[in-house]
Amino acid sequence: MKNTQNSLGAYLKKHWKTVVFLVLVLIGIGIADQFVNSFMRRLLNLSAIYTIVALSMNLVNGFTGQFSLGQAGFMAIGAYTVAIFTVPVGLRSTIFYLAPMAPLLANIQLPFVVALILGGFLSAGVAFLIGSPCLRLRGDYLAIATLGFSEIIRIIFTNTQTITNGALGIKSIPTINSLWWTFGIALIVIIACFLLINSSYGRAFKSVREDEIAAEAMGVSLFKTKMTAFLISAFFTGIGGGLYAALLGTVDPKQFYFTLTYNFLLIIVLGGMGSISGTIIASFVVTLGQEALRFLDEPMAFGLDLPIFRPGLRMVVFSFLLMVVVLFYRKGLMGTNELTWNFIINKYRSIKSRFTKKAASAQGGDSK
Amino acid sequence: MKKSLSLLLCLALVATMTAGCSGSSTSSDNSDVIKVGVFEPLTGANASGGELELEGVQLANQLHPEVLGKKVELVVADNKSDKAEATTAAARLIEKDKVSAILGSWGSSLSMAAGDIVKSNKIPAIALSATNPQVTLGNDYYFRVCFLDPFQGTVMANYAYKTLGAKKVAIVQEVSNDYSVGLAKFFTDSFTKLSGDASAIVSTGNYNTGDQDFNGILTNIKATNPDVIFAPGNYTESALLIKQARALGITCPIIGGDTWETNEFITVGGADVEGAVMSTFFDDTNPPTEAGKTFVAEYKKLYPDRQNIPAVTALGYDGYMMLMDAIQRAGSADPQAIRDALATTTNFEGATGVITINANGDAEKNSAIVKVVKDGKFTYLDTVTITQ
Repeated sequence: MKNTQNSLGAYLKKHWKTVVFLVLVLIGIGIADQFVNSFMRRLLNLSAIYTIVALSMNLVNGFTGQFSLGQAGFMAIGAYTVAIFTVPVGLRSTIFYLAPMAPLLANIQLPFVVALILGGFLSAGVAFLIGSPCLRLRGDYLAIATLGFSEIIRIIFTNTQTITNGALGIKSIPTINSLWWTFGIALIVIIACFLLINSSYGRAFKSVREDEIAAEAMGVSLFKTKMTAFLISAFFTGIGGGLYAALLGTVDPKQFYFTLTYNFLLIIVLGGMGSISGTIIASFVVTLGQEALRFLDEPMAFGLDLPIFRPGLRMVVFSFLLMVVVLFYRKGLMGTNELTWNFIINKYRSIKSRFTKKAASAQGGDSK
Repeated sequence: MKKSLSLLLCLALVATMTAGCSGSSTSSDNSDVIKVGVFEPLTGANASGGELELEGVQLANQLHPEVLGKKVELVVADNKSDKAEATTAAARLIEKDKVSAILGSWGSSLSMAAGDIVKSNKIPAIALSATNPQVTLGNDYYFRVCFLDPFQGTVMANYAYKTLGAKKVAIVQEVSNDYSVGLAKFFTDSFTKLSGDASAIVSTGNYNTGDQDFNGILTNIKATNPDVIFAPGNYTESALLIKQARALGITCPIIGGDTWETNEFITVGGADVEGAVMSTFFDDTNPPTEAGKTFVAEYKKLYPDRQNIPAVTALGYDGYMMLMDAIQRAGSADPQAIRDALATTTNFEGATGVITINANGDAEKNSAIVKVVKDGKFTYLDTVTITQ
């Protein structure tokens, strides 16, 4: 007893900055939840959901080094599970007006949390089916199979009229409004990923990424390790997809084109393949940045009526900024580093010393 | 050098972002201005449709820039043809630009995504060409100026049964397109009811958006030998479908919905789409109302080199005009007052016909235009009126 108390005390002493930071983040979310308007709320919610999905994608692509492109498909499974099971039973006949809902499902309504978790498990289950043949192989097979899978899922959902309402999509999904759902789950996922990466499992993931032969020689089971990462990733993505459905209030198959996956690929490449904090930063930068640049779409942004200020310009500028980032930060904003206290202090010191050096050399130049 | 350049670019990024955050808020809170939000897909897959609707809204705004002695300012937001973006665009119009009402969007699914936001913020919205019944269903703040899929399906079923005298119909639907699936379903219901023959639909073929080869579907259809083929769907795929049908020797009439009425349909289909028949919202050679004549004249003045006026542009015009009418009757720019006025719109004379808003928030229209492709042009054929 005394021992655990001591170790807890020691842990707190060692990581007090992190604990204080987490508490501040929680207070920040609480304040934001009270005061932020619905536009900002929506953006923050979207950023948090993108964090969840991008982080789970990074777990496979960044940390384990397996190239998976199935994110849109796994999200679709989670999103449709939430949509099918949380829409109030009374509204279903008006939504499924082309063909009535399958009688097996028509009267089942689950609480949001249960549907969310069920969505996670279903998508992990599907991931198991895809992973078991593909992860035994080396090379690009996983990318091909997962890309194919996410297209197949979309076409299945388009054609199962009595379950998913086909191309018409499902609307009237009870929406989530508070920031706690998305940020709470995002925090859980971040902490889970952090603990996972720093555990023996995480070390196994990284060893597979660095060198499969060496890892195997050290007794790491390649298939099991890849499968673990893939299943956890699919589970979190399914949950992210469920939140996405509950945020938008409607789902339809066209939302889950494979281009959705590239959003997340963009985020993890920008943030750094193999960096949790980089992924979080990039999720927020990409989501908020696209909105912040919206003024470029409006005419007369600077009091002048320039014909280039028309819808679409912000995407051009956004792509340009991305190219700049990729040029100067080849490994993404964070590379494989994490935003730890040491990292910040070191960065601060190096910048400071560079400026003092510059000042010193400038002075030296003057005296010459 | 490289470091300082990167620092400079970072600064530029920060500067543009702060400019973006502060820039647009400066023009707010001017009581002499009534702000109307327009959210449309101006980039992405549906950009051409959104652009055409926006032209109609802007034309109406040019002609009637004032209501209640105040200037009407259009705030245009692009939703990138993406659902998540549609919700943020709508939330942005409401929260940041503080609009009194919203017009748009092209595409039912984008409008539906924004539905919950306009409902919870109590801001009235008018869908311009979104024909899916679910857009206004259960949402007191969403209205629309166009007719619905059930109505359009009924119109074409009537045309096929009464005018063409068809007994057997084959359907080809674009299964990934909500619009096409809905229309096919309502056509089926209506046609089986009209003909009293439960097996009047002899075959149903499905294809996906982007498909190029329809020979499989068409061979099946040819074997059933229908009197008419009903093929609602995207214009490119439909034009290819008709081309391939003619190449296979299928000679029966092929009919479809309003999405066909684009120049691409004729350029892709060429001589093969001659005789293709479709229902649509508006005919520029024969405007049904005085307002329609004004609209056509003004449109031709603004775009003298365009051949025909797209129906969605006329609907954009009508949406704006109906909103102005409601603001006039409400006597204020208060969103709730506008909503109540919109809900009681009766016999409003729009460019596409006389509009009365029913309890669902839908425009009660009882007639649709039927057009045919003749000599490479969309030509007026008939006006089908359905008495419910």
